[in-house]
Amino acid sequence: MSERNIAIRYIRPILMSAGVLFKQQATDLFVIFTVVIQPMIVALLALWMLGDAVDDAIYIVVGSGMTGLWSGLLFNGGNSITRERWTGTLETIVGLPTAMQVIVIGKNLANVTQSMASMIACYTISSLFFGYPLVVQQPWLFAISLVFTGIAFVSFALILAPLFILNPAVRSFQNGMEFPVFLLSGFLFPILLLPNWTNPISYALPTYWAARALHITSQGLATRHELLFVWAMLLGFSALYLIMSSWIFRAVLRKARVDATLNMQ
Amino acid sequence: MRKFVFNLRLFFESARLSYIALFRWLRPGTYAASKIIMPLADIMFFTFIGIYANGVEAAPFYVIGNAMHLAAINGIYGVTMSVGGDRWEGTLPYLFGVPGSRLFTFLGRAFFHLLDGSLNVIIGLLLGWLIWQLDFSQANLLLLGAAIATATIATCGMGLALGALGLVTVNIMFINNLFFFLLLIFAGANVPIEQFPNWMQTISQFIPLTRSIAAARLIINGAHLADVQSMLLVELLIGAAYALLGFIIFRTFEYQARLRGTLEAI
Repeated sequence: MSERNIAIRYIRPILMSAGVLFKQQATDLFVIFTVVIQPMIVALLALWMLGDAVDDAIYIVVGSGMTGLWSGLLFNGGNSITRERWTGTLETIVGLPTAMQVIVIGKNLANVTQSMASMIACYTISSLFFGYPLVVQQPWLFAISLVFTGIAFVSFALILAPLFILNPAVRSFQNGMEFPVFLLSGFLFPILLLPNWTNPISYALPTYWAARALHITSQGLATRHELLFVWAMLLGFSALYLIMSSWIFRAVLRKARVDATLNMQ
Repeated sequence: MRKFVFNLRLFFESARLSYIALFRWLRPGTYAASKIIMPLADIMFFTFIGIYANGVEAAPFYVIGNAMHLAAINGIYGVTMSVGGDRWEGTLPYLFGVPGSRLFTFLGRAFFHLLDGSLNVIIGLLLGWLIWQLDFSQANLLLLGAAIATATIATCGMGLALGALGLVTVNIMFINNLFFFLLLIFAGANVPIEQFPNWMQTISQFIPLTRSIAAARLIINGAHLADVQSMLLVELLIGAAYALLGFIIFRTFEYQARLRGTLEAI
């Protein structure tokens, strides 16, 4: 396939759908609350609660920001297809020559990029209001970790969004999935505090590896071996989710085209 | 007397139907996720942060604070949606067409949430007992029940005010979320209020939960009625003040909507 064809088939639709969603959600108060205000409140509480317990306030900034990233992914990324059903545009998207998965990647990209605002919000509240000196100790490694986190989160949302529309029973647990992931991913405390039997669940979550990569690079604790391992886990999960999502999307399309039941609530 | 019995019936019917309308259409999974899994994970998240900061001996402080805060799930979200939902479901004209007392109808929206919200708090405290061996041996359980009921009544009062606001704004979920989390900060569920700046301490005195959380902590440590009764009474008054404010907004909305023909304008 020529470069021009790749651009037309994949890159342009991804950027277009990302751009549209970005504009739609920029003034959505639910989105603003999820990715800006709630993480700021969590950061505020964590700064009061953990202020003296952690050596570096950047730990709190990163951990609170991660809560916003996950909430954004869960509620905005997870509902990216369901919203089309609510607005009656789902069939139109299914009928497009561009693969639905490509459009959803664009939406997830916009969601994850917007959710990164939670990091900035938490940084601002810690630095401006509490006056903590905040320095990312390994900025380049942190930036790369952030990119890998973004890739893993976009891929993870590719599983959540079609799963939520295929099975409303799974979506009904959406509210119950927010805080357990905060808990199990070690955003604001080490998972070693949790019972041992929960650790394998943490290891199976991309959010845990993302938090670990961002925490160790921001605090300057990253060794080459550890970081390579954590990055490999993030990329491995991303690849796994991409493969799994293509199966799930096939099921979504079958529901739309063969059973004609996709739009039924 | 006949009118009073009619209004009483209206109160309970309105309470029952608004609660059913809110939850019956949901699947049990949704109820469990919203009312059990999310709240319990919420308590565990903040308690583990507290343990990380201050050690496991500090767990009761966080468990009690966050368990009491669970009253706000029903108080804020449940009641607000029960009141404001009429606008979204198109049932406001019927509501305002009923000859019965507006006050009974309005207060009825909160009734079942009082019971359900109290159940939330009890489940939260039981979790604390199961995981962190929260010690109730010194507690007067009847008094603790009174503190839980007070917290639920006061948050429902605030919910009635926010629900009435829901009749005049389209962003009620944003307001709900904001108030739910502001209560988490200002009521002292996770941070002792004395650590706040003065302006925050002042706000804490005028919101639900501040006193009931403090009272619950005292009661579990062995306090008696005389130690906490003034706190609980003031919190009940605060809840009543919010409910009154909500009723005033509700009646004003009704009056303005009739006057301008904007009953269902969104």
